Amino acid sequence: MKGDPTFWLLARAGGLTAYALLAGSVVLGLVVKTRPLGRRVRQADVTDLHRFLALLALAATALHGVALVLDGAVEITPLALVVPGLVPYRPVATALGVLAAELMVAVYASFALRRRIGARAWRRLHWATYAVFAAATAHGVMAGTDSGRTWTLALYLSAIGLVAGLVAWRSLPRTPIPEPRRSTA
Amino acid sequence: MKTYRIEIDANLCSAFGSCVDAAPHVFELNGGGVADARTAETDDAGVVEAARSCPMGAIAVYRADGCERVA
Repeated sequence: MKGDPTFWLLARAGGLTAYALLAGSVVLGLVVKTRPLGRRVRQADVTDLHRFLALLALAATALHGVALVLDGAVEITPLALVVPGLVPYRPVATALGVLAAELMVAVYASFALRRRIGARAWRRLHWATYAVFAAATAHGVMAGTDSGRTWTLALYLSAIGLVAGLVAWRSLPRTPIPEPRRSTA
Repeated sequence: MKTYRIEIDANLCSAFGSCVDAAPHVFELNGGGVADARTAETDDAGVVEAARSCPMGAIAVYRADGCERVA
């Protein structure tokens, strides 16, 4: 911090924003797969928003990391943003954050490479999203300055609840969505 | 001559089923869990929505009278 708290505040806001966006993207990805709202929402819109939130989450994660390097409250080198375990502050929790960010980049990039790697590899890599979410949650709870606040706890619990609920919904037997009647006019 | 020509990349299809939702009279999931088009060409504008909603981008829709891709 060293006087000016701008980068420190940016780092905290960036981290929490990244988590909220990641959670939103994971939730929408599960909505795409499970379609709990049936035909009440357009699948194309949900899919677009899922990808857009993932991109915004990556941007907020980058802001989080860069602001931490520039702040200097904790000695974090640019190398420590890509190599897990180099941050002296709560090394396990921060390593989880680095791993989550790197996996997030890999999952996001895999969409652009889906024709090259094939659908099977893409699906396997997409399962890593659950690991990203779990690692990001653990990172936030264990390393976040604001994790003791009520609203932050509400954010984590809401995200975990929504993701867990949709995963449970996903595991249930699916009822086919009825076909709309073809117009005879 | 129909309006739209449909191409499905079966290697990319991951059986999300959103195409069946968008254009149920054109698309179906076969026994292998891969989308099939009941017809290669159609007038059903729902195929455009089906292509846009495919999370894998496995469906391409072209104008049947040319090569212009519409979705």
